[in-house]
Amino acid sequence: MNKIILENDKIIEENLDSSIKYDIFTNDTFGIASLTLEITNDTDLEINYNFKDKTKLETMIIVNKDVNLRLFEKINGEYAKLRTKYYLKENSNVKTSKFNNIKEIKEYTIINLDEENASIEYNLKTISEKEEVYDILTYHNASNTISNINPNGVNIKDGKLKFNVSSFVPNKIVKCDAGQNNKIINLTNNECIINPNLYIDEYDVTANHSAWIGSFNSDELFYLESRGINKKEATKLLIKGFLTNKLEIEETEKENIKNIIDEYWR
Amino acid sequence: MHTLKIENLTASVENKTILKDFNIEIKSGEIHAIMGPNGTGKSTLSKVIMGSSNYKIEKGKILFDDKELNDLPTDERARLGLFLGYQMPLEIEGVSNSDFLRTAMRSKNEEFKLYDFIKKINSTVDQLNMDRQMIHRGINEGFSGGERKKNEILQMYMLEPNTIILDEIDSGLDVDSLRIVGENVMKYYKENKPAILLITHYQRLLDYIKPDFVHIMKDGHIVKTGDKELVKEIEEYGYDDEKLGTKVVEEN
Ligand SMILES: Nc1ncnc2c1ncn2[C@@H]1O[C@H](COP(=O)(O)OP(=O)(O)OP(=O)(O)O)[C@@H](O)[C@H]1O
Ligand SMILES: [Mg+2]
Repeated sequence: MNKIILENDKIIEENLDSSIKYDIFTNDTFGIASLTLEITNDTDLEINYNFKDKTKLETMIIVNKDVNLRLFEKINGEYAKLRTKYYLKENSNVKTSKFNNIKEIKEYTIINLDEENASIEYNLKTISEKEEVYDILTYHNASNTISNINPNGVNIKDGKLKFNVSSFVPNKIVKCDAGQNNKIINLTNNECIINPNLYIDEYDVTANHSAWIGSFNSDELFYLESRGINKKEATKLLIKGFLTNKLEIEETEKENIKNIIDEYWR
Repeated sequence: MHTLKIENLTASVENKTILKDFNIEIKSGEIHAIMGPNGTGKSTLSKVIMGSSNYKIEKGKILFDDKELNDLPTDERARLGLFLGYQMPLEIEGVSNSDFLRTAMRSKNEEFKLYDFIKKINSTVDQLNMDRQMIHRGINEGFSGGERKKNEILQMYMLEPNTIILDEIDSGLDVDSLRIVGENVMKYYKENKPAILLITHYQRLLDYIKPDFVHIMKDGHIVKTGDKELVKEIEEYGYDDEKLGTKVVEEN
């Protein structure tokens, strides 16, 4: 498995095969490090971000024609301002599985579906305990492109979680499928916000979006409780399910996420 | 030896009274069947017994071995040995059957052993002619109607309850699955002598699971009690009051 480990804006470990080319440099004008990855063959990649200090970082992911990328991103640490840009070429496919366990984050993600038949499934999971803002913008720049954007978060403690999710399909870009499924489980009295937007300028498009902010479904809790599981354990099971479901990652990685959840909900 | 006793239970949902002065007593080793028209309150009864917060008890009591359950949390009722097999088992995405059952069994038994658990779940899955892969899938995630019902019976076997309510466990099952479910409920009954309350619309389940008592429920309470012969009357006449002799004189 291809793997990159970063500490703040430096790569501290890297194990990549020939399907991935990379480059990291710091833009002198803005002083922001920029990591560029070009994916040239079908592959799996794990990027492990550890933000020990306040960090600003930009990542660009270019996925070449006919290439399938399965990406797993793990974000840990204190505070980060991130900008991630995807560029998908013809007939490429990306499946992003992302688990964020960071105190504060502002993350700006731009997904460019630049050529025909490009598709992405983007699954974000986060435990929000302070302030987290996610802007996810998907541009359908070519016909027959598919996006499936699923930001999920559990908001706890002093958490304030915000998802701004926008999908764009301009006029004459046809037969696209733009989907969004936004969900926040808010276990606090703080305000959480979801702004789901579809900017669609074309009739020949399939688009749907949903947004839910609330707590867990009482029928689901009842089902678990009726098997002898107390409310606290039942809630924990539902959180684990919510934060691991749809992630295309190894079973051991799922177990790691579940262990992190156990730490929070002792 | 356990007894589940429902006394003059009246319960409502969204200000609509569903159960009206409902009474029944079920002891370990007894099999009771409740039959009744759609919407009469059978599923409501089963969920009120398990303590669903959707329903409000207006009056009456749910007693288990003389302990009042009315205000007892659902999970504690389950740990006393009550089990409800749902008419429509929920799908819970992302929570695997195995995580779910392990947590449930650990809640019940502190001496939980993982090896024993795996052995038992595998053999029960085989016994119910289910696919072992399902253990690692989300609870009822993408399961067919029949598979969901079998999953309820699997959970029953794993949790070893002493008082079992099966709400239309037969609906959605094909003939072979119905036989498997029927035989397995009977096997469990012979081995553990639980109290069983079956809710069903059809005779065919009762060919496998032979009830000692058959009750007809209408309008929120039991209007007639008999034995297996009563099922034949229902099959013949439906729930016609005149023919069944269940016409109730309205009280003022
Ligand atoms: N949560 C609820 N909210 C609103 N109405 C409810 C709720 N639960 C039950 N009811 C109503 O209570 C009545 C009894 O429903 P219940 O499901 O108990 O019937 P049933 O006897 O099990 O019927 P069936 O044979 O069709 O399964 C119905 O009119 C139903 O619509
Ligand atoms: Mg029912």
